Amino acid sequence: MEKESELIRRCIEAACRSKESVEKWRRQRRTLERLPSHLSQALLRSLLRRRLIFPSLLEVFKHSAEEIDLRGENSVDAEWMAYLGAFRYLRSLNLADCYRINNSAIWSLVGMTSLKEVDLSRCMKVSDAGVRHIISISNLEKLWISETAVTANGVALLSSLKNLSVLDLGGLPVTDTALNSLQALTKLQYLDLWGSKISNKGALVLQSFPKLSFLNLAWTNVTIFLNLSSLECLNMSNCTIDSILECGGDEAPFLKLVFAGATFMNEAEAFLYIKTSSLSYLDVSKSSLNRFGFLADMKMLEHLDLNSSALGDESVEMIVCVGANLKNLNLSMTKVSSAGIGILAGHVPKLEFLSLSHTSIDDVALSYISLMPSLKVVDLSNTNIKGFIIHPGTESHMDSTLTALQNLNYLESLNLEHTQVRDPDLYPLSSCKELSHLSLRCASLTDATLHCLSSLPKLTTLQVRDAVLTTSGLDAFSPPTTLRLLDLMGCWLLTEDGISLFLKKHPEIEIRHEVIQNLSTEQQTISNCPSSSQQFPKISRWNRMQEKLPIPEFFVDQRLKYSREELLALQFSPLSIEYPRETGSVTPNLQSFQRD
Amino acid sequence: MKKEDTVKLISAEGMEFVIDKEAAMVSQTIRNMLTSPGGFAEAEHGEVTFPEISAVILEKICQYFYWSLQYSRGKETEFHIEPELTLELMMAANYLHT
Repeated sequence: MEKESELIRRCIEAACRSKESVEKWRRQRRTLERLPSHLSQALLRSLLRRRLIFPSLLEVFKHSAEEIDLRGENSVDAEWMAYLGAFRYLRSLNLADCYRINNSAIWSLVGMTSLKEVDLSRCMKVSDAGVRHIISISNLEKLWISETAVTANGVALLSSLKNLSVLDLGGLPVTDTALNSLQALTKLQYLDLWGSKISNKGALVLQSFPKLSFLNLAWTNVTIFLNLSSLECLNMSNCTIDSILECGGDEAPFLKLVFAGATFMNEAEAFLYIKTSSLSYLDVSKSSLNRFGFLADMKMLEHLDLNSSALGDESVEMIVCVGANLKNLNLSMTKVSSAGIGILAGHVPKLEFLSLSHTSIDDVALSYISLMPSLKVVDLSNTNIKGFIIHPGTESHMDSTLTALQNLNYLESLNLEHTQVRDPDLYPLSSCKELSHLSLRCASLTDATLHCLSSLPKLTTLQVRDAVLTTSGLDAFSPPTTLRLLDLMGCWLLTEDGISLFLKKHPEIEIRHEVIQNLSTEQQTISNCPSSSQQFPKISRWNRMQEKLPIPEFFVDQRLKYSREELLALQFSPLSIEYPRETGSVTPNLQSFQRD
Repeated sequence: MKKEDTVKLISAEGMEFVIDKEAAMVSQTIRNMLTSPGGFAEAEHGEVTFPEISAVILEKICQYFYWSLQYSRGKETEFHIEPELTLELMMAANYLHT
């Protein structure tokens, strides 16, 4: 999408300032009818963001909007849908994660001939009855109904949507019989069947889709590696693969293969018969593969994920064979050591992303990494890197090893969490001019860390977790002007006052720390301006994200123990710091919510 | 003010606005009209007619041109837009690429 011009952005901002400003323009019916679709969509997005939209206001967009994205909007329900049903030019409607959407809400879409794309992913109340409404949208080309309540019977009904080219049935109990009835969909190019009940018998039916180029069979019982002539992308993650089916003819070469967590029964054969010369993306992370000779032919490979595989230094030669085009290489949790990185050095001229976390590499590897000229993102977390080398014989002389990273002219992001690097060894990083993201996490880091990083000219995100930073150290820190996020989780010496003071001095910086939760509740109770209502959805989304993170065993969410009133009373007690909480983020400046 | 340094912008109703060429150039569309080598009539006479833009909106647009020039020179003031003008102004801005 083309970037909005400055004046358009200002107009939209002015139009969405408050309920009153909306009332000023919503009756300009003639003008609204003439509004170009991209402007009307931008206006609608802004109203959604500012929580100013309500169902009957939707009507003003009915002559102009062509694409509407309501993903994850909790309020979207049947009433909204009743208005959307009248949108004459609506081509694409995204309702993913709108949990109030049910079968009767979808009834509003019946017979909308303009609609080509509908996304109902994870609308859990949508079932087979909803599918009956959907099949009346005869021109539908793209449909996403993954993780809904649709059954195999509902899936079979979709066979009447002859124009479908994209169909996402992920997580639905699709059976072989149901798939059989979909054979009428000859235009199908993209089919997602992860987690379905498809067996090998059903998989053979897939041969009858002449244009199928993307297929996802992850987490199914399919054991045949289908070498379909049209297939370009195949995902068989977490499947057990025991045979390869040759479908004959002039096979189209694969571009992308994902076998994460797959088990290969006959390893030697796995890649023997397929044309991999044009493959650009290969994910065999966590798979059962032991030998990596197959890599040698994949000359076009750009993305290679070997995370948690059995790869060791002896197989690095195979990566060297395909190193010429590699951009992204994940070797985390493998048996690769510094010696292996030495073999790789000099053979990966285009490598931009490299992950070596949870490997046994040490400081020797850093000098090899510095010979990979295009590196942008490097993950060295959970390794044996110390930041210096002691030469044998000269115990007193320590050579700083991070200086090697100064050779990487494009280095933007560096992760050194859970390494043994201490403050004095970090100094070489202050001359990495392009560095914008830096992650550190170590209990021996002190205020000097902040000091030596303050001269990085492009730093936008800095994580210094679990360190012994003090309030006076934070006070003395003059952050680079580009800094936007400072993550200080687990820096237990910092006080609420110290952080508030820093936020006051640097309103443009967002801080993450355990005590921030307190500051944010304070703000919410004090402020009555409309933007405070926006904070709730943002924070709840953040919490949802956090749920996926592993939670330490001593973790007790204090919000469960106390009522809101009790918590508010507790927030000023110094004890609250003693319970480390994984959540806690707030933008210090309410204005910035309105800006984003 | 010399004539070659100004342009005349004419609204739908025929209202004429004479402004600095430099200010008018804030709009990519007007810049193209005035500078393209094809010899547009606009370039020759220094006049551009906008049959779709009303005088109220064109006036606001001209104000924006000048404000934008000042803003780019580091003068940070607010450009106020009345909510009732937002839709029309947005469409004009879209047309003028400004």
